[in-house]
Amino acid sequence: MIYAENLRKEFTKIVKEPGLKGSFKALFHPHKEIVVAADNISFHVPKGEVLGFIGPNGAGKSTVIKMLTGILTPTRGQCWINGKIPQNDRKNYVREIGVVFGQRTQLWWDLPLLETYSVLKEIYEVSDKKYRERMSFLNEVLELDDFIHSPVRTLSLGQRMRADIAASMLHSPKVLFLDEPTIGLDVVVKDNIRRAIMKINQEEHTTVILTTHDISDIELLCDRIVMIDKGKNVYDGSLRKLKQNYGQMRELSFETDTSEHLTPEKFYKGLNLSGEDLTVKNDKNIFNVRFNSEAIPVGDMLNYTLSITKVKDISVKDADIEEIIRRLYKEGADEIE
Amino acid sequence: MRRALKIYRILTIQNLKRLMEYKADFLTGAVSFLIDQAIGIAFIFIIFSQIPQLAGFSFEQIVFIYGFSQIPKGLDHLLTDNLWCVGYFIVRKGDFDKYLTRPINPLFHVIAETFQVDAIGELVVGVGLICYSAPNAGLCITPLSMTLFVLSVPFCTLIYTAIKISTSALAFRIKSSGYIIQMVYGMNEFAKYPTTIYSNVIRLFVTYVIPFALTGYYPVLYLITGEDPLFNIGGVVIISVLFFALSLMVWNQGLKAYESAGS
Repeated sequence: MIYAENLRKEFTKIVKEPGLKGSFKALFHPHKEIVVAADNISFHVPKGEVLGFIGPNGAGKSTVIKMLTGILTPTRGQCWINGKIPQNDRKNYVREIGVVFGQRTQLWWDLPLLETYSVLKEIYEVSDKKYRERMSFLNEVLELDDFIHSPVRTLSLGQRMRADIAASMLHSPKVLFLDEPTIGLDVVVKDNIRRAIMKINQEEHTTVILTTHDISDIELLCDRIVMIDKGKNVYDGSLRKLKQNYGQMRELSFETDTSEHLTPEKFYKGLNLSGEDLTVKNDKNIFNVRFNSEAIPVGDMLNYTLSITKVKDISVKDADIEEIIRRLYKEGADEIE
Repeated sequence: MRRALKIYRILTIQNLKRLMEYKADFLTGAVSFLIDQAIGIAFIFIIFSQIPQLAGFSFEQIVFIYGFSQIPKGLDHLLTDNLWCVGYFIVRKGDFDKYLTRPINPLFHVIAETFQVDAIGELVVGVGLICYSAPNAGLCITPLSMTLFVLSVPFCTLIYTAIKISTSALAFRIKSSGYIIQMVYGMNEFAKYPTTIYSNVIRLFVTYVIPFALTGYYPVLYLITGEDPLFNIGGVVIISVLFFALSLMVWNQGLKAYESAGS
């Protein structure tokens, strides 16, 4: 369905010294620098899959999405979507995709929302019958009815985002690109949008590429994730595998008696572990120990803790996905440097 | 083509609806254009109160040239005003993304999105001045000359559009080209008067380089003298088509260089 092969995008940046003087200098003697926003990005998404495309800010996610949607021309490499190269066959290609950039809107700002849909209906040549079906489906999953007659400029961010997703879905695209569709939204709206994406994916087998910084988006929606950092592929695989590979982190929390004089050093020295394998933090007598269960099994950790101190309360839990991703971002960065 | 017209019609209706949303702004725009026009006309009256002829043209003939020059300018203004926004901010802010994700030609889309009713001021003034001056302008009116003259209007308009397309497309490379459009477009002032009042350099410049003289003076010259239709009208057709083709090339090359904006 979607093939990206060695995509690379370079931007030319003019480096300016600070201040007005620097700007003038750059005007006459521009010092150009090539910035590689995406380098050697390859992945494949089969039909009907929801792919989480993640990475820290500035990793190059949007650049890749813009190449896949035909907005940017890759410096090198190619992508095929539905057997089409976006840059070569743009007009026919974009009929089959829907695009939402969470930070921007494609709605007609000054007009009631419904007008946008009636214009898009003509642009995408949706028949009257199909349009009615589509609107009732989108109304149902995205609950547009409350604000469909309001001018777009008066919509709240949550309403606008739902309206934008509906706009991108009106022509029943085969592929949906969602660039940060949950950015800046409250929990209820996020939940609504996630359910809508899930439903669209299940009922219509729409292939979805989704970028997000919200871990719950990934956990709830994505079959697979591709992670990039500094323009390069860092990870490509299922979330489950990611958890297996990187998810050996556990978190031990306990409370000691106030009479105890336990310090974090006792853990570091006693277990001879440090860095990624072990971090200990405490707030007076409440302790928080993060450790790698491959370096020290959970049982040993518990035994050791109980042997050095008297605990009032104790619990062990899995590190959450957020923790894993933080680790992976860090590793990715180390690998490249 | 039919589909394009349909989309154009729909987008234009949306535009008119938008105007109704912001009535005060619309009225202010219309009034300011009328004032601008009034100053231009007053200027001609002042000149002719001092001198009876200008480069061999009578007062009525100058008014006719002035009036005619407003028509292609007004038509282009009416239809393609959104190109200014491309130069000033649509590209710089990355808002051009939207046009590239729709299954219609982005240039057509961006142009169709604005229907600038302000331009009616120019058209009304243009037609008014033509009607006022025509009876006494000593025009050489035959069926052929009228046909060729009227035929030249869309091509004159095309020159305006071509100049705006190519200058706004520079924004794809240099991010913002609003002031460049303004500078080049500003040369249309030369179209309002006979080119013979300018020096040779300027005359050649506004005929062949930024050919605004073709949008006013030359077609009217043909109507006054009945001479040289090959250049006065034919030249307009050929140069306008050439410029338009060139501007489309600049635009399409620009699209490939479009860099969007971070998000």
